[in-house]
Amino acid sequence: MAYAFFPGCVSKGGCPELYPAAKIVADKLNIELVELRDVGCSGAGVLSQEVSDPVNARTLAKVEKMGMTMMTICSTCQGTFTQANHRLQSDPEYRDRINQEYLASEGLRYDGTVDIKHFLWILDEEYGLDNLKDLVVHPLEGLKVAPFYGCYLRRPPELMVPKGFEGRKTVLEKTIETLGGEVVNTSGKGKCCGFPILSSSEDNSLAMCGDHTLEAKDKGANCMVTPCPLCHLELDGKQEDAARHKKQDIDLPILHLPQMVGLALGFSPRDMGLHKHLVSTEEIVNILEGVRA
Amino acid sequence: MEITLKFYRFSPGNGSKGDFQEYPVEIDESATVLDALMQVKEDQDSTIAFRGSCRTGFCGDCTMRISRRNRMACSTTVGAAQNEGTITVEPVRLITTTKDMMYDLDTWVYDKYKAVEPWIETDQKSPDKEHVVSNKVVQDLRKVMSCTMCWLCDEGCSTMVVDRKFVGPLALTKAYRSVFDPRDNRTEARLKNLSEKNGMWDCCHCYEASEHCPKGIDPTERIFALRNKAIKANAGIPTVRNHYRSFAKSVKSHGWLDEARLAIETEGLTNIKGQLKQVPLAIKAFRKGKRPLPYFLHEKREGRDRIKRIFEKWEENE
Ligand code: SF4
Ligand code: SF4
Ligand code: FES
Repeated sequence: MAYAFFPGCVSKGGCPELYPAAKIVADKLNIELVELRDVGCSGAGVLSQEVSDPVNARTLAKVEKMGMTMMTICSTCQGTFTQANHRLQSDPEYRDRINQEYLASEGLRYDGTVDIKHFLWILDEEYGLDNLKDLVVHPLEGLKVAPFYGCYLRRPPELMVPKGFEGRKTVLEKTIETLGGEVVNTSGKGKCCGFPILSSSEDNSLAMCGDHTLEAKDKGANCMVTPCPLCHLELDGKQEDAARHKKQDIDLPILHLPQMVGLALGFSPRDMGLHKHLVSTEEIVNILEGVRA
Repeated sequence: MEITLKFYRFSPGNGSKGDFQEYPVEIDESATVLDALMQVKEDQDSTIAFRGSCRTGFCGDCTMRISRRNRMACSTTVGAAQNEGTITVEPVRLITTTKDMMYDLDTWVYDKYKAVEPWIETDQKSPDKEHVVSNKVVQDLRKVMSCTMCWLCDEGCSTMVVDRKFVGPLALTKAYRSVFDPRDNRTEARLKNLSEKNGMWDCCHCYEASEHCPKGIDPTERIFALRNKAIKANAGIPTVRNHYRSFAKSVKSHGWLDEARLAIETEGLTNIKGQLKQVPLAIKAFRKGKRPLPYFLHEKREGRDRIKRIFEKWEENE
């Protein structure tokens, strides 16, 4: 299996532990990642579509030439790309205009044939959770994990969870179970983490972060897992501020999806970069080591 | 079919918190939940209070939480709503009631609606000729005008859960209608108004509103459109404006996002208090080996000149 790999900015920037964890895990699974280097940021829904659509069409044109599916490791990259791809695929006139105005000078054109999938979807839809299960050497026994999706992996539903792909609504839960962990469901698992309004409305942002992590904790979770590094920036990076805002301790470790997979595949917490998180991951390391001992 | 209708009763002033009352109902499964409620009111208990008028999903009156899902009573069949012969009917959760299922609409709908000044204003008192609006624009506006003010988007909104003062997607959808009407000429003042506290910048663009809108209006995209217009018109709040600018500048010059610089520039370089706010997190992150590399230490991406050209072209097109 080989994919054109779009790592996104955050996996090398604000969450530098994510990129190596994803590479190590993909390698272990025999998934070949051909990294896209000569491409731009997806725009993360912040840049105006008028400029991010051409930038993303350029990326997709390059992937199209490679004849591969594109893999992302970020809910936000995935959402932005799926939406851009939808506009480009469903409106040939629009696509032609972007091809002519922006891509032709570089000898590129996009014909609208590329498929884009998050690593989480690939695990279930292409790799197969049963095959993943066969490789688990350290089941996450005793670990109670709260799934947290990130908005853009679920909405808008007609694009992110189309007919025939309904499994995407519960794939994170299934993955946790496949790896031997126990799922802790929260009402906010599909909601916004608060990151997008951190600069405009900090109080509301921290309230969201606090609500999600405290609910998980109240329900007995030892950690939370997310396929979105922007959610991680909020849920891990801003958790201390959220605790202050809520006037309560939280201390809930937040894992990136590939880290959780890697731990079950036998990699050490250090290999997976758990020491780089702002919220201490000691408790889960202890639980896992207790089981391994 | 025979069903048990569990209907939420609440009377202000009697000190109770509200509770369910059960009514047995014999009704066809293809009838709507609103039909069932009317049947109870006519045949069994005239004191139950709920809203509903058009019965065709047109007036937005009959929003309820039916068997634990928020929906319109007139567009939900008894067959679809029942769960082992029981249907529960209760108020949606983020809105207060004055009795049973009667919502306090002034507080939650009309005040917010009024706050966005949902009308058209022009300079000309009496136009000297017809103001022709293109078909394309009318089609777009008609979609927005089909909003029934059912409140399902506000009820599903992520921000509303943590801050009820947020103006909300319903009112912002109405605001779109005024801002994007070419006959209106108060665009700048409107965008400024929408950028006030509890305004459109509190939306976290989670697409919940779009998922919940029964009319397919896509409120989230409408809010995006309003905000993009505000950025262009230089009307947003300063930190957000800086955030957008810095984001675009970073991608334009390096092809990707420079988060360290984004955080600094968002607060504004001369905003000392804002800058100091960043320091504790930056130190902690740095100790953990997490500090994002400044852009000049990132590997140079090969395509960045090409991406820069796309930005330049876009700016030319503006
Ligand atoms: S997109 Fe914005 S307005 Fe809509 S539900 Fe989410 S936060 Fe609320
Ligand atoms: S935008 Fe949609 S969900 Fe919101 S009030 Fe209008 S019709 Fe209802
Ligand atoms: S009664 Fe009018 S929308 Fe239901």
